Amino acid sequence: MKGNRIIVVVLCTLFFASLPAVERTILIGPKTIGKAWKDNIVLEPRHFASAHAGDILTVYNDNAKRTAQGAFQNPKTWQGVAPEYGYFGINGPFRMTLTEDILAIAREHGIAIGGHDYRILQVTISDAADYQEQMVWTGPAVMMKDDWSANAEIPASCLKDLRVGDGLRLHISKAKPNAAAKLMDFTWNVLSPALDGVPVGGDSYTWYIYDDAPLLKLALAGYGTNVAMRIGGTGYRLDAIGIVRQVGEVSEDYSAVQRAPREYVLRAGELFHGEKYFPADWSGNLRLTAAPFQQATENDVLLISYTLDPAAKAAGVTPQLSLRNNRTWGELTGAAEPIWYKLDGTDVVYMFDAVALDEVKTRGLILTGVGFTLTKIELISAQ
Amino acid sequence: MRHHFLHQFIVLVIVFTNAASCHAVGPVSTTEPVSYRLCNPNATAETQRLWAVLCQEYGKRALSGVVANVDWNAREAENVYKWTGHYPALNVFDFINIHASRDVNKQGWLDYSDLTPVTDWFETGGVVGCMWHWQVPANNGTNWTCSPGKNPGETSFNPANVNDPASDEYKRMIHDIDQVAGYLKKMQKRGIPVIWRPLHEAAGNSTEFAGGKAWFWWGAQGPDAYKALWRMLYDRLVNYHKLNNLIWVWNSQMNDSDWYPGDDVVDVVGRDNYYALQYPLAKEFRQLQTEYPNKLIALAECGNGDEVDMSLWTKIWGEGSRWSWFMTWYDYNYNAGNSDEHQFAGEQWWKDAFDSGLVIDREQMKELLK
Repeated sequence: MKGNRIIVVVLCTLFFASLPAVERTILIGPKTIGKAWKDNIVLEPRHFASAHAGDILTVYNDNAKRTAQGAFQNPKTWQGVAPEYGYFGINGPFRMTLTEDILAIAREHGIAIGGHDYRILQVTISDAADYQEQMVWTGPAVMMKDDWSANAEIPASCLKDLRVGDGLRLHISKAKPNAAAKLMDFTWNVLSPALDGVPVGGDSYTWYIYDDAPLLKLALAGYGTNVAMRIGGTGYRLDAIGIVRQVGEVSEDYSAVQRAPREYVLRAGELFHGEKYFPADWSGNLRLTAAPFQQATENDVLLISYTLDPAAKAAGVTPQLSLRNNRTWGELTGAAEPIWYKLDGTDVVYMFDAVALDEVKTRGLILTGVGFTLTKIELISAQ
Repeated sequence: MRHHFLHQFIVLVIVFTNAASCHAVGPVSTTEPVSYRLCNPNATAETQRLWAVLCQEYGKRALSGVVANVDWNAREAENVYKWTGHYPALNVFDFINIHASRDVNKQGWLDYSDLTPVTDWFETGGVVGCMWHWQVPANNGTNWTCSPGKNPGETSFNPANVNDPASDEYKRMIHDIDQVAGYLKKMQKRGIPVIWRPLHEAAGNSTEFAGGKAWFWWGAQGPDAYKALWRMLYDRLVNYHKLNNLIWVWNSQMNDSDWYPGDDVVDVVGRDNYYALQYPLAKEFRQLQTEYPNKLIALAECGNGDEVDMSLWTKIWGEGSRWSWFMTWYDYNYNAGNSDEHQFAGEQWWKDAFDSGLVIDREQMKELLK
């Protein structure tokens, strides 16, 4: 009996070892992430039901401006799912390792991918085994003291194979609760603002390289034994560094994939078109900049179109909306108390007074409310 | 041609009451001509001449301007020339990296003591501006920064110690000011007047909303420390170093009159705006004009912002703004060849500006300064 059990274990081991690692597509775009952090798409929680800590989320993209930034956010709070994911520069596929903490958010609320100035083509999840690691620096280990004074000097020869899309994995030990790393170029300047005291813990931290800006800084050091990179920080020991690169295959099964909504080009006078849900928990709001209002006059009106949410009404929520200024969230007209428009049809026609007109031409507005889906906002001349 | 004729006519009728003051007429004033006077009565002849032209053109046309690509060059001006065939009238250099200047640091990567970029610009008719992202040692002892705070990459440098000559901060201030004074003095010796904009954006967004704060160390301890620092800087440069080639520009963050150092040490009130749509710009111009009726008002920094693209100059002017000059910000990535599109003000924007006939280029400025 014991012998049979060993055979089963060996067969299983061989079976799993021979399975190719697979990258699974969970979202197909395109989804344009335009200027000003206004655009995002939320990956649905179902995609993360079978994901594991250590899996890699990858966002393939194009049309990225040189200054484009990405973000992985909690759609409930709109904060980064971890401090280093609040914003980061991108120029190529960008990735995130799913941790238990991130998975807890993802399974409850999903994950919002945001930022500005790029277009999402596809989002995938792949197993950690899809990535191979090549150790490039193995010490001697450096203990990062509390005063941030210690640093490890990494020669250029260790980093010569590093390229956009790779991850640089710091293998660490003895991490204190407040441990943080600082990744610098040879002139002691941080490689990016996000790497100035990035929290680290467990046994490793992986920095995925989304654009070539940090690589250019590293290359300035030259070759060979020249110090190209300095890794400092506090409260941990740096033991080794590896370069992590994707080697897995891509699944062609798109049966459970999420598709981005069809993209729409606003017509003249349209300020918003689409479906934006304003749930009962008051978390829905929409910001409009002052740009489309520059020529507006008191003869213009806003036509706000919506559909009511039957579930919200059934739950006793009174569908309503309010227009606020884009600075303090005060009432757009300057009144002390917000004015609420009760919703029971399909449209609200908003007429500007002098204060509201000045406000929207200066800073734009915020539309907030509950219990409806916003479908369109138009700026129309009433004459 | 019409603008050229008008300009000649106005030059003839302007009367200078004082070598360091001038009058302006036109849309910026109400019924009476306003007297704009340089705060330094000992201003050099070249500085007075530049000041006279600024006053003469105020309200009629704006000087076009750009900032250098980071520090000590005319890279952005070359972009404008490539796009339009015109050089901007003003190029603003930044003393941001004086700690890395080779005259004080053998490992430095630039040399502020080599005045070539400035003299090249000036000798072709350009107006020289200087600003100062005044970096001090960060808390980690290795980096240099303007950002106040407790984090390793920020600085706890306390501007209030401008009142304590025994403090390390005071000694650092004097050291840095004297270093910058050396460069400015070289310019003075070459007859170069300088539009000088130090200690900018001091109030940050502290006056904009509750919880706002200063984002540069020189504003981190509030308006009193800031004003003391401004006045010390003025005294050190003007009275101690005898620098009489400076036109002093103070930056308003709007609704921050508590931060204004005083009429006696400010020539121009500037405004930096990256929400540069024509309507809010016109409002801000009118507000500053009302608050500082005896000062020229300039759009000291502008460009596309995170939320909106800057309005075309024809629209800005058409809405009623009459800024003395504007200065668009640099795009490091564009200049490095990493981007095809200028982040702050590209070809279309600059073509509109020069085609409008409402801005002055370098060639026109050269003629005006003769």
